[in-house]
Amino acid sequence: MVQRDGEMTERTPEERLADHATIDRLADELLPALVAKLGASGLGEMDVREGGWRIRLRMPADGRASRRSSGPGRGGHQSPSGPANPAAHAAPTARGASPAPNPGDFDDPAPASRAVATAPAVGFYRPRPGLAAGARVRAGDRLGTIDVLGVPQEVVAPSDGIVGATHVEPGDPVEYGQEIVEIELLGAPTVTPGAPPASTATPTVAPTAAPPAPAAPTASTAAPTGPEAG
Amino acid sequence: MFERVLIANRGEIALRVLRACRTLGIGAVLAYSEADRDSLAAQLADEAICIGPADPRRSYLSASAIISAAIVTGCDAIHPGYGFLSEDAGFAEAVAAHGLTFVGPSAEVLERFASKEATRRLLAAHGLPTIPGSDGLLRDDEHALAEAGRTGYPVLLKPSAGGGGKGMRMVRTPRELQAALQVCRSEARAAFGDDSLYLEKWLDDSRHVEVQVVVDRYGHGVHLGERDCSVQLRHQKLIEEAPTPALPAAAREELAERALRAIVAAGYENVGTLEFLVDRDASFHFIEINCRLQVEHPVTEMRTGIDLVATQLRIAAGEPLGFSQADVGFTGHAIEFRINAEDAAHDFRPQAGRVERFYAPGGPGVRMDSHLYAGYEVPSDYDSLLGKLVVWGPDRPSAIARGRAALDELVVDGIITNRAFHRAMLDNPAFIGGRVTTNLVDRVGAAAFLVPRG
Repeated sequence: MVQRDGEMTERTPEERLADHATIDRLADELLPALVAKLGASGLGEMDVREGGWRIRLRMPADGRASRRSSGPGRGGHQSPSGPANPAAHAAPTARGASPAPNPGDFDDPAPASRAVATAPAVGFYRPRPGLAAGARVRAGDRLGTIDVLGVPQEVVAPSDGIVGATHVEPGDPVEYGQEIVEIELLGAPTVTPGAPPASTATPTVAPTAAPPAPAAPTASTAAPTGPEAG
Repeated sequence: MFERVLIANRGEIALRVLRACRTLGIGAVLAYSEADRDSLAAQLADEAICIGPADPRRSYLSASAIISAAIVTGCDAIHPGYGFLSEDAGFAEAVAAHGLTFVGPSAEVLERFASKEATRRLLAAHGLPTIPGSDGLLRDDEHALAEAGRTGYPVLLKPSAGGGGKGMRMVRTPRELQAALQVCRSEARAAFGDDSLYLEKWLDDSRHVEVQVVVDRYGHGVHLGERDCSVQLRHQKLIEEAPTPALPAAAREELAERALRAIVAAGYENVGTLEFLVDRDASFHFIEINCRLQVEHPVTEMRTGIDLVATQLRIAAGEPLGFSQADVGFTGHAIEFRINAEDAAHDFRPQAGRVERFYAPGGPGVRMDSHLYAGYEVPSDYDSLLGKLVVWGPDRPSAIARGRAALDELVVDGIITNRAFHRAMLDNPAFIGGRVTTNLVDRVGAAAFLVPRG
């Protein structure tokens, strides 16, 4: 995340242009070096301030650099340098519709054996006490909660499997649909492109499968778009 | 002034609120549903946060999702836009209960004006002539028939809990009334969760004229003139303009002043609009108040030079209005065209789809408020408003001329819009003569306006 540090003040058009140029420069020049540094250091997070700007990087627990799976903010939809994690975008989840993957996300082959538990609401993440990577879970098991104005909403496992990496720290703010916990599927099926897997577990998307298309726009329908209407 | 505002809305109004935040140097966070992930406001905001799926009940109508998002992103105020929760007293109260500021009237004020039927009685008590109608809500069919008979047909059945034309039916006979009661009740229940109805006298060939007011927290209010919104289809506005061609200057002044006096006395605050029907004999009757920003606010902005959204934010932040009625200047004539994704040639059927090309007209006195961009996928989950084209001229004929040029310049490819309908209206003698009444388009049929005139 790249943002202006400190108070927001009124910006003139010239200052805005300068801002955009600065963001571009930071993205191109600084971010690759920072990502590399972060990776090499073994640290989880880096918060850098430079000349009135603030850059925050976070490594997921499995060590692969990636951007937050949703929420553009300043800096838009581009990843910081480093391999984008296409699997993070491609895997549909048990709750609601996942963001439609971009064609470029399939450049790296995604493991066809994982699913992700996502946030069912916007709020603060609280893991289930004792939840640890490697634990076996069943579909529907509570992995944690999202505190929505004091009311907990459950984060559940989308399928049977083994708890993998957690992308979010306890107490972190999360948005709806944000990826929380990886679930490695048991006995990963070989997924034929375009064909759903035989098991009743939430299907994963093979890299060559066509991305789930949003519902074809029709006149005067009220159905929400997305592959899994909520 | 606020540090950071959560914009709890979508489409063109989200962009409009974002622009006001930029003007005031306020940080802006956009709350969006999954269907609006790629919206223009999401891309331009300082931060954007997904609050739920496309279904509005789980996103834009979810008080907890919105307030949670505001807290999570460190906002100190929430701007509700228009529609959705913008007039919901419960939502405003919940916002305040969580230590945030709702940009609009307080929950108490919203509650006071929540029932359209009660508001009519309240403002009648404060000296506004109101449209004759039922004495309270319609208890049952028998009561409805009695009230309609007493009021005199034709009458308009209206839901007490909401607006936008839903659940409204005009009926001319008792038989029509009986048939309409069922339909209106179920429409109202579906749209607002409340099937209470009341009825008003329907004035054939009336004009819809509304008055824009702004009142600060200290009871100091000014009016910003009126708008004529008579070009409607099925009670939904299509074209709005100011000043109204229906009334001479003195009558317009009187209308606006009386509206302001009544609404300040009734304890209103922030930005709002009082709607009236103006009869053939130029007498006016109050029908309802909208306790929020209106879609057609740019018409007033073009004539007065006052930024209404910035004014909302300032009032909500506790600032005094800072100007008096004498400071408000009105110049020229402004007209707004609602560009909808609708097929005017086929009963204004709503469209969804991908905008292949978008070109907004420009030049002096031309303003385009739109969230469209080339490549944008218009979601099918929400209303069909794509943007508002607003033109200004020193007088009505020049505004109309600018409107023709701007509509001819406007390009929206890939999705059917009502652009041709608007263009045809500007060649229609009734419109040019300033003689459009609220049921003209319905009566004549929208398709009739598409016939090129010789």
